[in-house]
Amino acid sequence: MPTVAPLPGGIVTRAIELVLLVACLLCAPVQAAEPKKVIRDVFPVAETGFDPAAMHDLYSAGVIRAVFEALYTYDYLARPAKLVPLVAAAMPEIAEDGRVYTVRLRPGIFFQPDRVFGDKPRELVADDVVYSVKRLADPKLRAPYGFLVEGKFAGLDELAAAAKKTGKFDYDRKIAGIEAVDRHTVRFRLNEPDFNLTYVLSHEATSIVAREVIDKYAESDGRAMSHPVGTGPFKLGQWIRSNKIVLDANPDYRGFVWDFAPVQPGDEKLVAQMKGKRMPAVDRVEIFVQEEDQTRWLAFQQGELDFMNMEGPLAPNAIGTDGNIKPELAAKGVRLDRYVEPEIRYVYWNWLDPRVGGMGKAQIALRRALAMSFDASEEVRVILNGQAVALEYPIPPGVVGHEPQWKSTVRYDPALANKLLDHFGYKRGTDGWRTWPDGSPMVIKYAARPDTQNRQLEELAKKSYDAIGVRMESQRDRFPELLKLEKACKLFSREAAWVADYPDGDNFMQLFYGPNTYQSNNGCVSIPEYDALYKQSVRMPAGPERDKLFRKMARLLEYYAPQRLTVARYRNQLVQPRIEGYRRHPILASTWQYVDVAPASN
Amino acid sequence: MWAYVVRRLWQMIPTMLGVVLLVFILFNLFGGDPAYVLAGKISNPDQIDNIRRQLGVDQPYYIQLGIFLKQIVTGNFGASWSTNEPVSHILATRLGPSMTVLVPLLIIETIVAVGLALAVAYVRGSLTDRAVMIVCTVGLSISILVYIIVFQYVFAYKLGWFPVQGWGDSFWENLVRYASLPILIGLVVSIAPNLRLYRTFVLDEINQDYVRTARAKGVSENRIMWVHVLRNASIPIITHVMAALPGLLIGAFLLERFFSIPGIGREVILAVERSDFPVIKALTVYVAVATMAVNLLADLMYKAVDPRVQLK
Amino acid sequence: MSSAPDVIAARPAARTAPLRREIPHTVSPGLWTLAWRRLRRDRLAMVSLAIVAAFIVLMILSGLGAVAKDWAQEVGVNYAPPSFMGPDAVPEAPSGQPRVDVSDAAAVAAPADDTGVVDPIGDVIAALKGSGPAAGATSSGAASDAPGFVDPLADVMKEIEGARRPPAAAGDAAKSVDPLADVMKDIEAGKGKAAAADTRRATLPFGADKWGRDVIAKTIKGSETSIFVGLAAAFVATLIGTVLGALAGYYGRWVDDALNWFYSIFSSIPYLLLILAVAAVLQHKGTMTIVLILGLTGWTGVFRLIRAEYLKHKSREYVQAADAIGASNARRMFKHIFPNISHVVLVQLSILVVAFIKSEVILSFLGFGVPVDVVSWGSMLNEAQNELLLGKWWQLAAAGGTMAVLVTAFSLFTDALRDALDPKLKGGKGH
Repeated sequence: MPTVAPLPGGIVTRAIELVLLVACLLCAPVQAAEPKKVIRDVFPVAETGFDPAAMHDLYSAGVIRAVFEALYTYDYLARPAKLVPLVAAAMPEIAEDGRVYTVRLRPGIFFQPDRVFGDKPRELVADDVVYSVKRLADPKLRAPYGFLVEGKFAGLDELAAAAKKTGKFDYDRKIAGIEAVDRHTVRFRLNEPDFNLTYVLSHEATSIVAREVIDKYAESDGRAMSHPVGTGPFKLGQWIRSNKIVLDANPDYRGFVWDFAPVQPGDEKLVAQMKGKRMPAVDRVEIFVQEEDQTRWLAFQQGELDFMNMEGPLAPNAIGTDGNIKPELAAKGVRLDRYVEPEIRYVYWNWLDPRVGGMGKAQIALRRALAMSFDASEEVRVILNGQAVALEYPIPPGVVGHEPQWKSTVRYDPALANKLLDHFGYKRGTDGWRTWPDGSPMVIKYAARPDTQNRQLEELAKKSYDAIGVRMESQRDRFPELLKLEKACKLFSREAAWVADYPDGDNFMQLFYGPNTYQSNNGCVSIPEYDALYKQSVRMPAGPERDKLFRKMARLLEYYAPQRLTVARYRNQLVQPRIEGYRRHPILASTWQYVDVAPASN
Repeated sequence: MWAYVVRRLWQMIPTMLGVVLLVFILFNLFGGDPAYVLAGKISNPDQIDNIRRQLGVDQPYYIQLGIFLKQIVTGNFGASWSTNEPVSHILATRLGPSMTVLVPLLIIETIVAVGLALAVAYVRGSLTDRAVMIVCTVGLSISILVYIIVFQYVFAYKLGWFPVQGWGDSFWENLVRYASLPILIGLVVSIAPNLRLYRTFVLDEINQDYVRTARAKGVSENRIMWVHVLRNASIPIITHVMAALPGLLIGAFLLERFFSIPGIGREVILAVERSDFPVIKALTVYVAVATMAVNLLADLMYKAVDPRVQLK
Repeated sequence: MSSAPDVIAARPAARTAPLRREIPHTVSPGLWTLAWRRLRRDRLAMVSLAIVAAFIVLMILSGLGAVAKDWAQEVGVNYAPPSFMGPDAVPEAPSGQPRVDVSDAAAVAAPADDTGVVDPIGDVIAALKGSGPAAGATSSGAASDAPGFVDPLADVMKEIEGARRPPAAAGDAAKSVDPLADVMKDIEAGKGKAAAADTRRATLPFGADKWGRDVIAKTIKGSETSIFVGLAAAFVATLIGTVLGALAGYYGRWVDDALNWFYSIFSSIPYLLLILAVAAVLQHKGTMTIVLILGLTGWTGVFRLIRAEYLKHKSREYVQAADAIGASNARRMFKHIFPNISHVVLVQLSILVVAFIKSEVILSFLGFGVPVDVVSWGSMLNEAQNELLLGKWWQLAAAGGTMAVLVTAFSLFTDALRDALDPKLKGGKGH
């Protein structure tokens, strides 16, 4: 029989590789023709769309922040975050004990030219502000950030209720709560005194849109997700959904001069590099969407990305045990911008569950014991690779009202937890697991999303509960399902997270306010004493008086233990050496308009 | 022939109805409730009701089913709930990138696998045959996840032969620059099982009488392999390749995710994570139709290649 | 249906050609004996069989708790490297933050507590803290005066100095003797951090995972789960496919039409979506859920083949003979025909085992993996995904390698089995 030597598989694949490789080299010059200054950022989660009122996620918010402008924004370098006027000419004039806000607009701010405006710039006026804020209440838009305006402005809720009946929101009807006094003055009249309104007016969701644009480009549900027309420094160029977003500098943008005062160590260098420059300095921002940690990190190292947030799983590659950037990266000129995110994570136990919730002493003891079994520092160390801080106070660092010296009375102490459980009749059965006081087997359900990090949280919870003889059952489900159960107060326990909408303690303290059950109060907590204090606190401006109330409330949360505070993550923003003037802002979702590209690298 | 085609098309209707019903039951009755995710960070029951009303998921099931059927008939599946992007636009824009990876992959893989299959079948039973088959078996027993992680790390990052990730605007740039590593991984993963399969097809033919007859008549071994055997073995091979075609519509989600390819597979995972039913339902229906069409086409081709086949 | 979609999560289709012209084989009763004889001669097949058998024995032993029972014990330090590499020169204790626990609480002076909030169970806490070796035992000792456990009830007005309070005040409550003091002591000894830290090993034979669990024990336990999932899911899928295929092929007519309809629905829906949808319906209860997800979606290939076999066999003489002696339909289907096609079923079964073991990895990636107190190859590979970049390659290597060995052995054995049962396929050793 004649024998033909067959080709081993390896040679063929290698041959193909070679062909592809040669082809690669041939096509390399194709990518030479690019605009002058391009910066490349990455989102770990896909964006949804760029209508401010329909804004849903942090990443779309970044783009909205770059294309649109709100009345106020935050100073680029000031820490803690400080509000400054943007479209407004000055900070609002507040009258009637925080019930009436008057905002004067800067004249001469123009929307980028668009077909709707006959391709000419069109000035932003008071009516646009009124329209943009009202939109958040339009039921048809189902605005995710509608809560920012709900119940606040005189007459707005009535307008929304009428729209629900008729099916059409009457934007032309004047209401006392939001009115254009003249072409460049807006007045807000509030139902209750509120000292946080300026934060709301700086939020991406209240960015100012032009009514003509929305009317022309809105999809069937009234949201214009794919055609943003704003007054900001960038405009949407190319957009390959959930893959690549290109922002081009808006040629008609009025611009600003880089002039910020140094606050943190290292800011001086930024100021020296940037002061006096005309902004925005970059011509184009390219944003990639990449869900996989490995890909983002390899791409950053390869120089395919200019920015990257180094999250826990891979952090040891870039960040040493001391929290500084690794020497080999530093040698390449890569910089690390590191701060604690304005967020809290907490494990709650459902207050409405009769066995674990409520004001009964046995239940309080059970929750306290569960809280004591949990070692937040282990979550920091093992799960998050050191890229987080264990929280002591319900208001995280960088947020007004934070108490840096505070020590929580809730400490990791499984031995005491065991005694507490024994004392209150949660006896161990013959199998070593504890029972409810009535003798039935005790099971604590712990819910988590089905991903790698949540699996590790489950592992930690299981380990903690095992140590005090409490049987844990994991309840794994997709996020929509968990949310649905949570909002109906039907979830037993979960580690929830809250990221600041604005840097004020109220944004965190409201999480445990009884009447916010079924809304943002995930654990459905209701402690009468806490609720009374909270009601007092909302009528106060930030200051030592309010801080005192907050401290009382924090202590109550420790004693009644409706939840156990766990951690706030570090943000580890890595920046390539070619980028100048970069500082990640804790609240602003994007800061591309403040940076430049080093001349040598272009 | 035409009567057969018409009958087959006619038979698709009950299958299609079954698919629609199954998809509807799985997603509308058991699928997650999208309202809570769409509602954002703070929501109250009122807002949830409002969202459900806006999406039409508060309607009785029979009405929702009716709407779904109407969408299928008109081919207008509406827009994604979370991004408002029309479903037709999603399909139109994501299909290209998926195809850019999968079509070349399918072609190269088929050529290589068939060539190798003929070669090893020719020396069947020899040490070479066994060695190749063992290498193949080892190759296919490694998870694709491992291949992706390791190949991306080694070939793209360590050796720098390929970009780590990315996608451009020109077809050629995408094909040559960005798709080559994903295609390579796809090849490594899929050549092994196909080679094994095609080898059995070829062996089937080698044992047929006509081969013996040809050999008796003194036809050269090369001619027997490349003409007679290949022609006959091509029938099951074509069927097999055709069966893989509808899969192209769904893309290769792992490759797409790791290499930032804006394809359909990634969109599917995203849609499931977001409970974006319009997108999921539309994709399912489209792929089901494509599967049925391809099956019909495969049978017709089968008939064309082998006139002995009776279409019934 | 394997080429391109393999890259996705391949629908475990029948690997035999769907439209292949069937080689008519007259199956003699000696089929199995003959096949075994052929198999015995095949050295590779026997090695493969031995490996598969070893894995199954391992699975049973592990299932019975004889090995790897304590896989969840944190026996090593976090990410302890394999012994042959030696311990980490610089122990990687990623922090950047001082560890916060009972011990350091004493180090930082608490701020004046001006809250005046009363602890509803402060008295009990104080009492319990006073008794026994409690709080201090778990920490490095200095914690006995942890300011954290201020007892506002016991001493409401003086809680401010509570920060510096030695637990003396609470000491008198020590008479509330802890009934489980002994147990407590054991628990503290076994699980207390301070105690555990001493006993944790710096290296392990093949390293430790994130938490310090032995990778070898984990891999063994993971093998148990993955092989069980593979076998059980393949059994479910083969059972469904065989029963439905037999019914369709044997009865023909409307039964065939109905089942074919059902089959075409399942095979028309993209496999990935089908899996995601079924997973959504079944919720995530445990390992059996994964078995069901795979079993309920993976039967179509078997159905197609078995149906064809029954179609072919039902008109054979031996079946007609059975008909003549008055055998019932069920008897004819399963007693007479089934033994003659059982080799097809067996081959399909073993093909599916391999396919499902691989699918479990993808399911884990998609978040539909095993529950938290169970470990599988899929859960390990997913966990190890990022570890490779951190230079902790051992978990990826252990899980990936073990899986490759089993799957290779299983596939080679399946090939040999098929060849042995259907010798024509093998092709003689040259003509």
